[in-house]
Amino acid sequence: MSRYLVACDAGGTMTDVIIVDEEGRSVIGKAPTSPQDESIGYMESFWEALEYMGISQEEGHDFGASVETAIYTGTSMLNTVINMSGYKTGILTTRGFEDIISQGRGKQTFIGDQWSEITHMQYRRHRIPLVPSQLSRGVTERIDMFGTPVIPMYEDEVREGARSLIVDEEVEAIAVIFLQSFVNPIHENRAEEICREVMKEVGREVVLEVSNKVAPTTREISRANATVVQAYASDPARKQLYRIEEELEKVGYPHSLKTVLGYGGITNIRYPRLFEAAMSGPVGGLMGAKYLASVIGEENIVCSDVGGTSFDAGTITAGVLPIDREPGFQDMYVNVPMLGITSIGAGTGTYIRVDPATNRIKLGPDSAGGTPGPTFMEAGNTTPTINDVNLLLGILSETNYLGGKVKINKDVSLRLFKEKVADPLGLDVYEAAETCLDLLNVMMTEHLANALMVGHDIREYILLGYGGGGPLHLLGYASDLPWKGICTVPHAGGFSAWGGACMDYSHRRHKSVGAVITPDLDDETKLAYLAPVTQTWAALEQELIEELKGEGFEEDAISISRVVYMKYYGQLDDVEVVSPVSDLASMGNWEALVKDFEDLFTKMFTLAGRPDVGAYHINEVCVIAKVDTVKPVLRSYPLADKAPAAECKKGIRPVFIRGKWQDADIWEMEKLVPGNEIEGLAVIEASNTTLFVPPEWHVKIDEHDIYWITRKDS
Amino acid sequence: MSNFPLRDRMHANDDAFKTSGSLFGLTKLNRKEDDPGTYEAVWHILSNLCNTAWATGCKVSSSPIAAEGGDALWALHTATGEAVCISRGISAHAGLLSDMIKHFIELGYEDYPGFKQGDIFENNDPHYGGIHSPDFDMCMPLFHEDKLIAWASCVSHVSDSGSVTPGSIGFLNPDCYSDGIPISMERVGEHDAFYPWYEMRIRSRTRTPDFVMGDARGRLAGCITIRERLQDVIEKYSLDFVLDSMNEYVEDSRRYAVARVKNQCVPGRIRKSQFKDLAMKGKRVLLAKQDIDCMFNLPMDLTINADASVDLSLAGASGTVPFGENISPTALKSGLMMGYSHIVGFDMFNSGPTSAWNVEMPPDGSWANPYPVDFQAASGVAWAPAVTWLSNLYEVFGRLFQMRGFVEEMAAGSGSIMTAEFAGINQTGMYLTGLTLEQASQGSPARGYSDGQNSAWCIYTPEGDFGNAEVGELYYPILFLGRNVAPDSGGFGKFRGGLGHTAVWMVYNTPGLEYQCGDAGMRSKTVGNHGMYGAYPTVPDRPGYGHKTNLKELIDEQKPLIHERGGPDNPAVTSKIIAELSEDSAVAPFVTPESLVDYDVIVHPISGAQAMGDPIERDPESVANDLNEGWTTQRVANDIHGVVTSKPNGHLVPDLDATAKRRAAIREDRKARAVPFKQWWAEERKKVEAQENMDNAVRVMWETSMRLSPEYGANIRKFWNLPEDFTFTPDAS
Repeated sequence: MSRYLVACDAGGTMTDVIIVDEEGRSVIGKAPTSPQDESIGYMESFWEALEYMGISQEEGHDFGASVETAIYTGTSMLNTVINMSGYKTGILTTRGFEDIISQGRGKQTFIGDQWSEITHMQYRRHRIPLVPSQLSRGVTERIDMFGTPVIPMYEDEVREGARSLIVDEEVEAIAVIFLQSFVNPIHENRAEEICREVMKEVGREVVLEVSNKVAPTTREISRANATVVQAYASDPARKQLYRIEEELEKVGYPHSLKTVLGYGGITNIRYPRLFEAAMSGPVGGLMGAKYLASVIGEENIVCSDVGGTSFDAGTITAGVLPIDREPGFQDMYVNVPMLGITSIGAGTGTYIRVDPATNRIKLGPDSAGGTPGPTFMEAGNTTPTINDVNLLLGILSETNYLGGKVKINKDVSLRLFKEKVADPLGLDVYEAAETCLDLLNVMMTEHLANALMVGHDIREYILLGYGGGGPLHLLGYASDLPWKGICTVPHAGGFSAWGGACMDYSHRRHKSVGAVITPDLDDETKLAYLAPVTQTWAALEQELIEELKGEGFEEDAISISRVVYMKYYGQLDDVEVVSPVSDLASMGNWEALVKDFEDLFTKMFTLAGRPDVGAYHINEVCVIAKVDTVKPVLRSYPLADKAPAAECKKGIRPVFIRGKWQDADIWEMEKLVPGNEIEGLAVIEASNTTLFVPPEWHVKIDEHDIYWITRKDS
Repeated sequence: MSNFPLRDRMHANDDAFKTSGSLFGLTKLNRKEDDPGTYEAVWHILSNLCNTAWATGCKVSSSPIAAEGGDALWALHTATGEAVCISRGISAHAGLLSDMIKHFIELGYEDYPGFKQGDIFENNDPHYGGIHSPDFDMCMPLFHEDKLIAWASCVSHVSDSGSVTPGSIGFLNPDCYSDGIPISMERVGEHDAFYPWYEMRIRSRTRTPDFVMGDARGRLAGCITIRERLQDVIEKYSLDFVLDSMNEYVEDSRRYAVARVKNQCVPGRIRKSQFKDLAMKGKRVLLAKQDIDCMFNLPMDLTINADASVDLSLAGASGTVPFGENISPTALKSGLMMGYSHIVGFDMFNSGPTSAWNVEMPPDGSWANPYPVDFQAASGVAWAPAVTWLSNLYEVFGRLFQMRGFVEEMAAGSGSIMTAEFAGINQTGMYLTGLTLEQASQGSPARGYSDGQNSAWCIYTPEGDFGNAEVGELYYPILFLGRNVAPDSGGFGKFRGGLGHTAVWMVYNTPGLEYQCGDAGMRSKTVGNHGMYGAYPTVPDRPGYGHKTNLKELIDEQKPLIHERGGPDNPAVTSKIIAELSEDSAVAPFVTPESLVDYDVIVHPISGAQAMGDPIERDPESVANDLNEGWTTQRVANDIHGVVTSKPNGHLVPDLDATAKRRAAIREDRKARAVPFKQWWAEERKKVEAQENMDNAVRVMWETSMRLSPEYGANIRKFWNLPEDFTFTPDAS
């Protein structure tokens, strides 16, 4: 019997389920996301995918028995926070910091805003706090930056605070956050014990989370946010995942459901620090790209995902994805490791407007998304979008939108775009449409090439485009930059879901440390100062091995990598360095690490930026424990003729490009095979995406069914 | 591109603006009209390259102020100096950087020492367009095929300026010679590298040279980033297109601001003064002449003309002070650009919007234009009067927006800025001077329809943020005992001002520390601003401290400590600890009279902002919520808002009937105290004429205001119906 992987990507609008067989063949089902009970969207999508495999619901009633792994990536935790539907949560915190959640910090009031909004005072807003100050209790205590208790913890205040929250306020969860607890957790851990004693005394259990166990890293506001999100949302979100697991059990799935962590690993949904899965949405694509890269032998990939609302991008350098340790999440900064993904509000649903005061074109940042969608869907939106433009220019087909499932009205696009964009600009409709598309592409190029690629040489990177709109815009935003290569995949619309099936089982732990190595120190002292790094690596490694062993893995199946976050002393921002050595017990090992750090720093910030004082500061370390999992096979196919078979061609359609209408060959992606080559100007259509090939480009499908696109003159 | 010398081109631009009303004489924006898509694309790319410079420079910079507080800025300029676009960061400097470049051109540096690729120029000298010595302004000329086509610039605030007292907020400086290390319009490097003697000077003349040099490297790395990326843009879009567009962006932005004013404001004239005090009499000062109290008149006289052009005057600005609180007109105008962006929201942040303003030169010899009369005037913390003055702009435009019904754009006025700066050995054994980030996160002003936001705004930077205490403890020699929202710290009104907070610090393992409670726009004894439309103002900035305290004993005995500022009835320092020297309501600014020792404590209040509307019209539910959150007190709820509450289920809820009665009583009480305006005016006039009960600082202020601006003086006399020869008479000294 065949074995299958089932992976899901539950987005804000649609839930995709991809089913992959042992040969790497895949089908994708789509259904609307159902935030109140995500199992509904999951199963609808699951059944649709089975339908593509030719299996009816009746025939597939026990299909789950042949599923090796089922994985969830999505928004269950996000929805809990957005809807404020988590547990009633109280905090115990260092006295004097009771407002730590409700006060937040100024920087949290403009996360994701554009500069014109940041400078304009009226846009500034704090989010509704997950924990209002009236559910906060202060505890007198202080530990200093070296871990020395300066003020002992007043235990009676802990007892009184816990009782008040549990009995008087009837909270369902408590988060404990003390300053500098990541250096010395003694107060927090004792407070945890007392809380448990109080729960026993009053006969009521509540969820209890302490910050040094949830996120033992510096920056108390972000650590507090992480701990509160874990207390507030993990259990309610987990209940959603249990519902999906229950539904899968009904079709015979015998294992536990897995979920995706924000840093790109999978784990059991019973994983204790489930808040690390809060931002797993865009992770699938990057992890899919990483796996794809490993199969095709490429180490450096720029991943670009064009959706309806946003353009998400990340880089893989030397096979490693950078980690953002304090990402913004729902107007909070959170100490949680997450793949370094940056986003801008630019997608196929992005609104196009002309500012009446300046007559300037404004793209987004908001969008019509999937609902109400572009104006041609006649679902209530009357503001032109990028996909209206794609339709007007002939790039999108009137009859193939979402595989032909959705009827569209081009006349509406034409009328509204002319009235609201072209006429105010004084341009012909099609000229204006092409102008808007070019502008979107520039915004995307800038986001990729400059915001993302600081310190990287584009000539060493492959650009991979995916997401429903990825292939549509890929060659536009690839621009004329000297990429090493440009590619996309035929299942680009479901690539993130496919990526969910490509991840290793992985856990990751970070911990702040403080090792300052100055040039005046002798070698012995340097090594003594570096000892905590090695010790922390060892402790974290042991912790992770125990966790994975507890989840049923053999120790010898676990591979370990070690990371330091390092900077020149005095600087605030550090650089992530994957350690070339397993310990810092010798000067040789230390020098090897310094060399890697300095090479990376110089590359990123120019030689002029590099100080010459020779003092280094390691302020955080990390260990990654990984177990390889079975992944979808990226099949290798025999190469067919360059010329596609006749039935692949759907016809010819005029496309407006470079200021004139030109005939484009229209191809059916599902019928093209490895070995085929296509010359631009062409549009290659699939049910879930469209690849647009301008005249100067050439497409070649390799043996893995990857579409490589090069300039004809290259 | 013109081959004329830059100075000629600059003057030609000025003439073209005068004659055409459009910057660079651009009555038509050809690039925008002919190719609107590419025009937008290039704008997007140029803005992005400034932000790339910011990201690079801040990472390289070693200053917590730059990297954690965002107190840095990079910009791209035209060849003649106009700012085209800026990075994120401290936008107050955009105008300064522009004027610095113009000044280099005006002074003939193009001829000698000449401009070439890789040159690094700097200035921090207010006499030549700087703001104050810790703000190092840098610029680099950018060339294309041997022609100077643009400039990259940057500013960053360094941790120590080498002034007479440690740190970067030199409010105590008696004259410019004590302001610190001067970089007076200098070429400080060539070929992308600093001169060795530049670094040597920083090493010998600042107290934290490693940090100061780290910031210099950050500035340089960012400017080089701009240069390299600009070449790519030119290669792709052509030199002509890029240069033409750069000019058009500036003019386009001017037009945008004019359109906003036209659409949202009512033509007319509005005058508003704020009064800032500086109480130094009897305190530790450096020179005998500083043993005085000072008062500033910070007037704004703004006229919006029928064509939406704006005239701005500071007529009535009072005289200079023998402290660091004097500012050059150049810096003041730069601050104006920033303040304007806060309230109208620039579409493109550049030199355009304020160039549509006709800003009259402030009176010679005033705090806003000291050098024509007092060349030695200090400007160690020149922002102090400027940011307070800028709060006028919020209120003035707030009224104009209200008149046209744009209530969502109204802002009641900013908070005041009292800084905390430490000098000494920190916990890691390193000598450090450091301005904390506390003051960069005040309450934001009330809006026309809602409360202000707590700890979320700072008038001098849109990046307003106080960072994490744990990061602060890494660098600053302090241990936090508290950082909560301070109840009732915003103004009271129908919509209250955003609340400030209180930082409470204990000295621990860092004896010998100096604490400077500095003035970057704070109040000594007067209340901050006024609020709008019947609101009550914010409370004064009154820090507390305890020296040689019993905190150690309290800790050992596990007794209550000190974590907040407390209220008027229970001030924290004196009610909670015993100390040899203690103060609950210290009159700021000051430098602690003795070096601090372990277990000394400092209570540093951060201001809330102003409120809007009558406090007895505040929604009772909002008052009850503030009570439950601990953000107001029963006294304020009852006496000021007239809200009576009950506590049926453990949380306070408003008693609406009792509240209605209480509010009716407040109204009656107000009526009983009210007098007709004419009666009030007559009584006050007598006091004014007799200069009755008028502190010398006030008399000095009015005397200088009226003398330096005779027309303003005549208006004052006219208003109070005073004799034509009336003048205020300060004490002889």
